[in-house]
Parts: sequence; C-alpha cells; structure tokens
Amino acid sequence: MKRQWGMVIDLDRCTGCEACVVACHAENNLATVGRDGAARGRTMHWMRVERYWEGEFPEVRLRFQPVLCQQCGDAPCESVCPVYATYHNPEGLNAQVYNRCIGTRYCGNACPYNARVFNFFNPVWDKPLDLQLNPDVSVRSVGIMEKCTFCIQRIKQVEIRSQESKQPIADGEIQPACVQSCPANAMVFGDLDDPKSKVSQLARSNRATRLLREVGAQPNVIYLRSVS
Amino acid sequence: MDRRSFLKISAVGSTTAALDACGKPEHHLIRFIPEEDLIPGVAVWKPGVCTQCRAGCGIRVRVMQGEAEVTRKSKPGLISMGLAKKIEGNPEHPVNHGKLCAWGQAGLQVTYNPDRIRFPLKRSGQRGSGEYQAISWDDAIAELASHLPVAGSSGSPSPVAFLTQPLRDHRGALIEKFLAALGAPPAIHFEFFEQTVLRRANELSFGHRQLPSFDLANTNYVISFGADFLGTWNSPVSQNHSYGEMRQGRTEQRGKFVQVEPHMSQTGANADEWVYAKPGTEGWLALGLAHVMISERLRPAQAAGNAGALIEGWSEGLPDYTPEKVERITGVESGRIQRLARGSAAHSPAVAVIGGAPLAHTNGFSNALAVNALNALLGSVEKPGGIFFTPRPPMPSLSTSRNSASVRTLCEGILKGSPAVETLLVFNANPVFASPPAWRVQEALAKVPFIASFGSFVDETSVLSDLILPDHSYLESWVDNIPESGTTEAVVSLASPAMLPLHHTRPMPDVLLDVAHRLGGDMARAVPWKTYAGVLQAAFEELRSHPGSVTAKTDDDFWTAVQTKGGWWSNEAKGSPAMRELNRPPSPTKIVEPAFDGAASEYPFFFLPYASQQFSDGTHANLPWMQEMPDVISTAMWGTWVEINPQTASRLRIQKGDLIEVASQHGKLQAPALLTPGIAPDAVAMPVGQGHEQYGRYASHRGANPLKILAPQTEPETGALAWAATRVKITRLGKKGELILYAGSEREWPSQFQHR
Amino acid sequence: MALSKVRTNLGVVLVVAVVIATLASCSSDKAKQAGHPSYVTSGQFTTAHPNMSDTLKDYFDVYPTHVQQPIAFTHKMHLEHGMQCTDCHKGVAEGPDATIPNVQLCMTCHQVIATDKPEIKKVAAYQKEGEEIPWRRVNWFYQSAHVKFYHSPHIRAGIDCAACHGDMRQETTAVRKAGLDMGFCLNCHKKYKAPTDCMTCHY
Repeated sequence: MKRQWGMVIDLDRCTGCEACVVACHAENNLATVGRDGAARGRTMHWMRVERYWEGEFPEVRLRFQPVLCQQCGDAPCESVCPVYATYHNPEGLNAQVYNRCIGTRYCGNACPYNARVFNFFNPVWDKPLDLQLNPDVSVRSVGIMEKCTFCIQRIKQVEIRSQESKQPIADGEIQPACVQSCPANAMVFGDLDDPKSKVSQLARSNRATRLLREVGAQPNVIYLRSVS
Repeated sequence: MDRRSFLKISAVGSTTAALDACGKPEHHLIRFIPEEDLIPGVAVWKPGVCTQCRAGCGIRVRVMQGEAEVTRKSKPGLISMGLAKKIEGNPEHPVNHGKLCAWGQAGLQVTYNPDRIRFPLKRSGQRGSGEYQAISWDDAIAELASHLPVAGSSGSPSPVAFLTQPLRDHRGALIEKFLAALGAPPAIHFEFFEQTVLRRANELSFGHRQLPSFDLANTNYVISFGADFLGTWNSPVSQNHSYGEMRQGRTEQRGKFVQVEPHMSQTGANADEWVYAKPGTEGWLALGLAHVMISERLRPAQAAGNAGALIEGWSEGLPDYTPEKVERITGVESGRIQRLARGSAAHSPAVAVIGGAPLAHTNGFSNALAVNALNALLGSVEKPGGIFFTPRPPMPSLSTSRNSASVRTLCEGILKGSPAVETLLVFNANPVFASPPAWRVQEALAKVPFIASFGSFVDETSVLSDLILPDHSYLESWVDNIPESGTTEAVVSLASPAMLPLHHTRPMPDVLLDVAHRLGGDMARAVPWKTYAGVLQAAFEELRSHPGSVTAKTDDDFWTAVQTKGGWWSNEAKGSPAMRELNRPPSPTKIVEPAFDGAASEYPFFFLPYASQQFSDGTHANLPWMQEMPDVISTAMWGTWVEINPQTASRLRIQKGDLIEVASQHGKLQAPALLTPGIAPDAVAMPVGQGHEQYGRYASHRGANPLKILAPQTEPETGALAWAATRVKITRLGKKGELILYAGSEREWPSQFQHR
Repeated sequence: MALSKVRTNLGVVLVVAVVIATLASCSSDKAKQAGHPSYVTSGQFTTAHPNMSDTLKDYFDVYPTHVQQPIAFTHKMHLEHGMQCTDCHKGVAEGPDATIPNVQLCMTCHQVIATDKPEIKKVAAYQKEGEEIPWRRVNWFYQSAHVKFYHSPHIRAGIDCAACHGDMRQETTAVRKAGLDMGFCLNCHKKYKAPTDCMTCHY
C-alpha cells in the first residue's frame, strides 16, 4: 500500500512551549554543541520554533511557528546532491543516507526552510550522558548533513509490529517524538494518501497553508493558520 | 601475497595498533553479571512520575538494555542494565494526558548528568571550597546520626532544622514524622517562585488553600493577569492541553484569550489581545472590569458572594473603580476596560487567571483577591469552563498540620543565635542562589555548625555542607506525588524505580529511615518502616476501599495494579470538595498601591525577573538540552540577557548585545542587552536561572543572576518575597556582552499566515 | 587494470595520511579529556566515520573472521545434544539483537552438566567472580555503516539462521561466514522481494 507521510501543525494550538524541540533532541541523538558551537551557529536542532514580532509596544504581537524538515514532494535538496545521499523514498520522505553523504552541504544551501544541519564536529557526550542515546538511531559523525526524518525509526518499528501482528497500521499509531510530546496537541502525523486519516482531514481545512508556497517545493508539512 | 594485500595488512596493523594505544578504556573493562534480564534492543515502558516541577505529571520511561560504567566491590567495570532512554507522558494520567513539557523531556539529563554526586562525601577542605572525600554509606549515616540531638527534657526544641523543596508526597510526611520524633520544628519549604500569596487569597475567597485548576477546554473567554500558564506557572502541561482544546477542540466555538502583563511572556504571545498595565496595578484593572459589569448590569454584584465581600465597596458597585479612575492608575484606556468587561461578560463561561509578577508586588495579595472576586462575579467558580480546586485523595497519612517558618526567618534566627540551629539538613533547596542578598542566607548558613545535604548536585547551598548524602535521581527512586492542581480528580501518582541506580547513591527518605533506626528508641518507633517503598505501600492500603481508577481484591494486588497504572485517581465527576470553613470572617480589603524599592528619580526602571522557559528558577540550568534550547522569545542560548524596549534603548544609545549594568539599591549585575518590543519603555526584564557560581560544568559561571540585586520587599499578609518590587537603573558599559541568539533577526510573519 | 592501480595508489596516499592523522587525533583526544570543551574538531579526511580505525577497516572491508574467544565454546556439541539456537539466543525472534547469553544462563545447565571439563570450570570461575564472560563479537557492522539490522523480521520471514551465519552444526566458536556487506544483503532482499529502499536499514 502506498503511503505519503505528512504532518499538520495547527498554529492556533501551538503555544511555543518547545517541548517538541527537546523531545527531538532526546529521540534522535542530537548533539549539543556547547556555548562556543552555538555562538558560531552550529547547533544541531532538527526542529525549531520560529518567532515573529509584529507592531510596536504596546500594540505588539508575537507569533510562533514550529519549523522542521517539510519533507517536500518536489524537494530542492534532493536534486542537488552529487552522491544521491538525499533522495525521495517510496513513502514520500526526503531521506538522508548518512553513509553516502560526503558533506558538500549543497542540500543545506538549497533548502528554503533551513531545515538541514551539518555536523561540524564529532559529537561528544560527557560521560555518562552517552547513556541517554537512543540505540534505534544512528549517531552521526563529523562531515555529515542531517535533518528531521519524521522519526523514521518509529515508523519502522510500527511497520515491523504491524507485519508481525498482521494488523494494518492504525491512524495515529505512529507518532514522531515531537507530535507525541506536544502538550497542546498542535501536531498531527499520518498518511496524507488516506482520505480518512486525521492528518488528511485537517489538511483539507480552510485554514491550511504551506510554508513558502511560492517556492513550489510542495511540502508535506501543512500549517493551519492561527485565527486571530 | 601481492603488493596490494601487503599494503592493506600493514596499514591496518599499524593504524589499529596506534589507535589501541590511544585508548578506549572500556574495551579493557571487566563486565559484571547483569542484575536484571533484558532483551537487547527491545524497549520496555515503565510508569513514572515527573519531578521536574511541582505539577506532578505522570510519565512513561522507555527502558532499554545498555552498558553502563559502574564500580562494584571497588572495581571499575561495565554492567549491562536497563537504562532510561526517553521520557514521555503517561496517556492515562489525568494531569498531563500523555503529554510532557521540555523540562520533563530533559529529565534524562538529570539522571545521566556528569556532575551528579556519585557517593557520600565528607568535607575535607574549607567550607565552601568544594573539597570532599568519599566515605562509605555506613560512615555517612553514623556521622549524620551523631549530629541529630533530640529535644531537651526542659522542653527546648531539638536544634535541628530541615530545609527542603516543597514536597507534595509522602517524603514530606515522612520528614515531618522524623522531625516531630526528634522534637525539632517543622521543615522549612523553599522555592523561589513560591505561591503562598495566591494560596492564601484562594483560602479567603474560595475556602481552598491551594493553587487553582482551570477548565480551559470549555471556556469561551480567558483573561489572565500576568500568569505564564502556558509556560512556567502552575501546571503548564495540563493548561497547554486544555488551551489547545479551547482554541480548536470545539467546532462551534473558539475561546478568546486576553493577557494582561508588563512584559510579554510566552503565554502572552498567544493572546488574541495583549494588554499592558502598569506593574502592580492588575488588581485595579480587575475591579475596573467588575465595576463595568456591575454598573451595566451584565452580572449581579451578589453573584460574587464571599469573594466579592472581601473587597471594599463591592456591595456599592465599586464606586472607586470607574474606568476613568482605573485608566489613570493602570494606564489601560477606559474604552478598552469597558470593551474587555463587556466581552468577558458576553462570552460565558469566562475565567480570570492570576499568577506571576502581579502576585509578587507588595500588594500582591489584594491583586489576587480582586481577580478572585472577578472570577466569582463571572460565575466561573467550580462551573464548567471555570476555576476548580483539585480534591485531595483520601490518604490520612499525608496530613501535616504544623506551620513552618520561612528561610528568611530561619536565617534571621541563626544570625541572632536564637532559636539555636546546630544541624541543618538541606534537600534540593538552593536559597543561597535564589534569595535576595539582604536575607544574608550564606552568612547565616556559615554560622551553622553542621550542615548535611541530600541533593544530587553540588550547588551554591550544598557546597556549604559538611556531609553530602546524594539522593537517587527520580528515575531510580520510588516516587509519589499528589498534584495540587491541573485536574478535577483526586490523584496520587506512584512509580517504582524505572532503572537501577547508576551510582552509589541512596534515596533521601531511606537515609532518614536508616538514621532513625540507628538512633533507635522513640525515633525508630515513630518511623517503623524499613524503606520508603514500605511507607508508600502502607499508605496506599488506605486507598483501596475508595472507588477509583484501580480496583483489586487484596492489598497486594492493589499495590501491584497501582504501580502498573502509574497511580490512583478518583474518576469522579468534575467538582471540587466542599468549601472549607474559614478560620477568620472576611473583612473587606482595599487595594493598596504597590511599593517599590528605589526612588523613581534615581532608579527609573521597574525590574521584572521572570521564571525562565529554559531553567525555571535555575534548577534546570545544569541540563545541556535546556541550555541549548533557544528561549522561544529571545532565541537566546547558553546565557542571559536584559530585555529593553527599543525606544528606551535608542534614547540610551544601547544596541543589541551591548553589555549593560543593571543596578538596584542592593546590588548590580552585568548582562547583554536584548531589544524587544514586548516590554514597556519604563521596565527591564531578566530571566531567572543563569548566574550560577556552583552548579556543575554546564551552569557554573554563565550569565548573571537577577535575584542577587532584588530588594527584600515583602507582601505583608503572607510575608512572601515581593520579587517584582525592585526598581533599577541601567548603564551602558561601552563593550559587547555575550549574547548568543539562535535567530539572526526578528523576521516578519510570512504573508500566507496573515489572518484573512 | 588501470582502475585498480588508481585505487592502490590512492590506498598508499590514504595510509600515509591516516597514520599521521591518527597520531594527531590521538593527542587531541588527550587534550579533550584534560580540558572541558564539549566537542572536538576532527582532523579526519573523510566524513562518514567516527574514528580512523573504522575508516580504514571499512575502506578495505576488513573484518576479523576468526575471533579468539575466552572460552572454547562449541556450537557443534550443543546442537548435537538437541538444543535449539533460540535456547540461548533468546532475543532473536523478538527484537533486533539475537542476544549473546550471559554466564548465568550457561550455569543453569552447567551447574550439573560436565562440571569437570576445564572450559566449564573457566565458566564457573567467571560466575564466581561476578563477572560476565568477555565474549567478543563476531558479526557486526561498523558504526559508520549506519545500519539498523533487525533479526526478528528475518526470522519471521522464515530465513534460516544458516543463510547468514553458516551451518553452526559444523562449528565450534562462531565464525563470520558471510561478508555482510550491502551486496550480500541486497541479493537476498531482491530474491525475496523484500524492500530495498535505503531507509529500510540505514537511518
């Protein structure tokens, strides 16, 4: 069965609490780069919460928008990789094959969403912080580009379980770490090709939009506009 | 052998030899026989209880087999053991519904923190030098026991003081039993962002001395006075969850949200309408709204009942709080006051929330009473979409009735020499870091002859101790918790250890029990249990006869079932317990002016410290994930900053990142400037949490601690610290500070997100 | 022919570079331990490997085939006595890892069986000391391969253990039989129409 994984982020629910940011660090073995690394802009966040100011005091507004890899249908990152390290997988993910990557960083340049990060260092965890590492996820090393995978390890595990039990994957059974953690339930993950799934129902909302539509990358992350 | 094979072999041989010399010591370590039987690569989810804040969320811990470096029989080696790999919310838990905040997610880094104390320590150098030597647990317990004199026969109390973080669990009850048996005064609870003022106001207005819960999911209008309820205040995960439902959970209705505050918080950023009121005048605004509602007959004045009767002039329709008068005091336009009043009255059910800075002025108590009265007028008390109070579970073993002193009075006592404190026990409280300098906490602690600390980390307070008895992390311990708020059911969360201890630590309650048994006699009889698990098991037997989420035929079955579930909850229909009788008849209160330390002429800026999204009150500053999580508003990482309005900054010729000095009458600090439109031109704000001198490698000597320039202003009704009542002046120092921002600039909202 | 020559020459250059870089990385490791930076800049010439040793071994496809084990364990004898693979490798049908049994499992039988044999005495001695037998891994992937291999789906699909591990009825201690390189995996995946998307194994 063909699937197209996608995500809906409801900006009217999102409160900017950043639980997703830390959940992603914990799940995907993202390294912390420390003060000096952060000062040089080398943090490894796969997920960030953008914030936009509007107006001046006291009539001031602030808006939040979680941004992760948009898993584009027509991804600018895929066409520029000289070694096919980034490619489109059959389930509609922009996949990054770490052992093909030679670190040209063309993909990072091409990405209009700034969703890709580069390993400028070999990650180091002060012992025993290394014990927190998730054994289901590769630890990437210096010179590799990496980015959000929609928690592919969680997708794979549910797929293996579903083959085992011969039960189809239920809608909502797969939850990437960010979706799982989101306290305000602002994020929904699922199969956009299944018209009955929650994610595709929400994607048909009249509030639905995509980030930087004009680029034409056809993202599979759909934002629901905030109402006010 | 051809040339190529030769090359291969020789190259690999020489390089691997070089690498082996380079050393990967774990390859040479002994492997100990594992103490548990786990299948590698297969995850087990164990229920747990989050202790990263006081909300008491239920968690699930993903445990997988891994190899940890440990010491057994004084030999270093590796052991294969179950290790916590991820923390998620417990989907069945009534507080957090399977969700978890950033602090909760970062809980792994508490357990695996490289700066955790790994074995008991006895001071070997000067006090405060941080020089310790490792000792055995037997010696440590003997040492502690020898410093615990029982009360004298003349009736003089035992000179032992216990300083702890607030505990809503059986550890708190056990500490009280222990202290009572010693004849010592009750434990002193300390946390910087204490909620005493609101609890006291709720007791008078509603008969419940506790923090409120909000049924936001069913509310149509929220007006919040300074409460960062989506970020750091009260029960954030529960509140985020119901906030999401309020916005988009109902097809027919989307709740409106108005935030009143002096400095834009993460919560304020989500508001439909953000209202600036002068710091400390929130009570006037609340009563101004009430005035409009009463005078326009939108709501009947008597609907407010007891909460209204507490306010002077309520029955006359609050003549002193006309929109025009309120505008003069608060700076909020009268037309807007009328609009907000009409809006909240029209969108029933509506609810008002107060928290944070409005409570931390010298008039915080009257601000709270005013908002409580507004809530009562709105008809939101214990009604769907309104304000509730979480019932207590039927566990008599929890009851503690003794009133305790504050850190401030403790230190005053020590400095005066009466009452005498010979031994101070400290558990996860860090008043040396989190108190205004005028309290002289460090000076007072220096005079205490013997200090023992139970914390997992060396911080500014525990570095003064003579003996450190390190606690397990919460993932390694038996944990229970009774949420004060965040749900309308009575809840007791419970968890057995999710993993075996990594280091030679011992849980604080078990140490108390060991000490009591070593002291013997009455002490041992007062706390007859062998371990804390025994304390909990006995306490949970009381619950079995009550209907709730767990039913079982025998006590043993019940005990197992509660552990599997992660706790017990009453499953009762929504509703608070009956109002408790007030211990004093309400006398009407007048809203008083807030008092500030420092003359406005010399100190022109309100100084607003606030609970940081990253570190709360500083407790989480030693977690690298929290240091590297960009603060959502400033996007700053690994540091601290002072928020200044751009107009003010341009007047003072301050640019982004300029190092500035912030000075009050009580101290000064240096931090880089962050220009942000979310703050009033006559105020500066700073996040609390950085500026640790002593808190491990990630937190120490990073940024500045705004609490060290606070004036010791208090709220008179409760004696709580009025931490928003300091005025400061700022000076540009002519050099750049270290400001690490994740986002380069404040970009504009992309056009397709504009509201149509 | 020409191609292989290029590769050989490249190999020579690599080897020299590697030995120099190894020594350099060794000293930077020491610096890292002494100070406190939470990251180190790698002086490595290639991208996908965590350390020099893996880089080299991976480049030349070097895996030890015959590993010297601390106990002269014999698979042959255990299987001849009617034991099943899963009696010891318990995790194989449930998770990613087949599981190497711990010394306690050995001793559940050898408490009474063949206690006088010298190898069994060694096992008993490990247990007495509270130590695990320091078995050495035979089948594994370098970290730089970024492979997530799951045993359980293969067992469920009816793949015989021998397909990768060889006929253990003929072996004493385990021997790395198959190359376990990507060609080996893909041949079989293609034959059984198993997925060949990169994300099946590499993430």
